[in-house]
Parts: sequence; structure tokens; C-alpha cells
Amino acid sequence: MTKLYRSREGEASSVDTKTQLTTLGSETDPGPLLVPAGATRLLGIIVAACMNMAAATGFSAFVRLEGAGLPKGPETVAVLAGGGAVATGGNASIPAQYVPLDLEVTPSNEVLIFGEMVGTDVGQVSFGVTLVFEK
Amino acid sequence: MTKTLTVEGDLATVDLATTLTTQGSVTVPTLVTPAGTSKIDRILAAAGAEGLADGSAVFFIRLGGNAVKGGEQVLMISAGGRIAPQAGSDAAPSICSAVQFDDLDIECGPSDTIRIQAEMAGSDLGTGHVAVTLIFA
Repeated sequence: MTKLYRSREGEASSVDTKTQLTTLGSETDPGPLLVPAGATRLLGIIVAACMNMAAATGFSAFVRLEGAGLPKGPETVAVLAGGGAVATGGNASIPAQYVPLDLEVTPSNEVLIFGEMVGTDVGQVSFGVTLVFEK
Repeated sequence: MTKTLTVEGDLATVDLATTLTTQGSVTVPTLVTPAGTSKIDRILAAAGAEGLADGSAVFFIRLGGNAVKGGEQVLMISAGGRIAPQAGSDAAPSICSAVQFDDLDIECGPSDTIRIQAEMAGSDLGTGHVAVTLIFA
């Protein structure tokens, strides 16, 4: 069995707003994230996320997976929560986490990845998501 | 049996793919996949930034080169954020422990060259620092 790793990242800067992750660092336009040919399942996702602590408030966040590459419909995964009493003096580093899933996929079709900040507006949340496909 | 390959490097700015080619006191470590192995089975990776600028960012690695059979594989490894302290105050440090990914099954050819890159994406948090260990099986 081989696994394939496909990633996107981006920033959610408004609360309760579904924000599509469309870039990959130095690749500003990597194009649609397609289910690799021959892939049989989406085994899970790797998620890295952190806020910028620009507002004294709290939030939670999740990742949404949508698109024709997921024939059983969209999925939503809770990934992060936090907050601060003041908007000064924060500094954080958070290791990525692996979220095991087992989703049917349609090869050569697109999976849309969204990040969303919910609760109250903390300023900005950066999301990085890796899709782990089995082939 | 397993075999490790470790590299590290600094990320000078955001949205720049930086090839990791050093290993501290070993300035030119091998970037050739071990003989007798066929895949990357596990990865240990840590990335953080100095926090010299405000914002939030994610860190990820790119695995490519002739050894990686399925084409470039990109994996997220961490995220960070920072807001400035009040004038006259000191900022707390941030520490990112290594994340470990198991059972990766990234197909690799033995005795072939591998390219390991890292990037910071999002806000520029200051210089990023990354260490990556690939465990081949």
C-alpha cells in the first residue's frame, strides 16, 4: 500500500466565514486539489492551525472538506480552540495533529478544503491541511 | 530494520521553499536514501519561529527528488502565532515539540537522492527553524 500526501493552506480572517484554503506557501496558485488517480480512500487529514491573538477574546475552529471528490458528501472536523484575556504578549507553537478518517473518494475529482474560525473574532487563524490518500 | 536521515535549516522568510541540507555540526549530511529500504515509514519534525513579528503561520515540509516514487509529497508539521507584548514587557518564548507521523508508506527508491524542503506560510513570524528526521524501512 502506498499513501499520497496533498496539502493546502490559508488564513481565515473573519468569524463564521467559510474560507477556502487554496495556496501552498510559495505556490500561490497550485490549482485544484484532485483525488489522485488510483486512490481508493481518504485515510485521514493532518492539520496545523494557530491564531494570531490580535483580539482579547476566544474562538474555536474547524476544517471542512467538500467537493465532488467526496461522493458521500461534506465532512467537518473540529481542530482548535483558544483565546486570550489581553491582545498583548502571546506567543505559541502547536504541533500538527493527525485525524484518522475513512472516507470514500472519487479519483480525479476535486476536494475543497475550508478553514473556519467560529465563536468570536480573534483576528486571524492560519490553517494547513494535508489529505492522506491510500492508493 | 530502520535507518534515519536527519536535516535541519532556517527559514529566512515566508512563502519560500527552503532546502534543508545541513545537520548542525555535520554540514554535508547524506541526502541519499538508505540501501535496502523501500519507503519512508515515519517522520519526526519540529518547526517554530523566533516570534519577532506578529501574525500566524503554518509550517510544512516537501519531500521530493528522484527517490520519491509518487512525486512530491507535502505534509503539514506545525503552526505558530504571535502578538507583541506591551512596551517594556518581555515576550515569552514558544517551544514546538516534534510531531511524529507513523505508518506513512511513502514509496522511495533505495540509494537515490531525496530533496527535503520546508516552508513557513501565512504571516512572517521571523526566522523559522526546522528539524526533520525521516525514518526509512
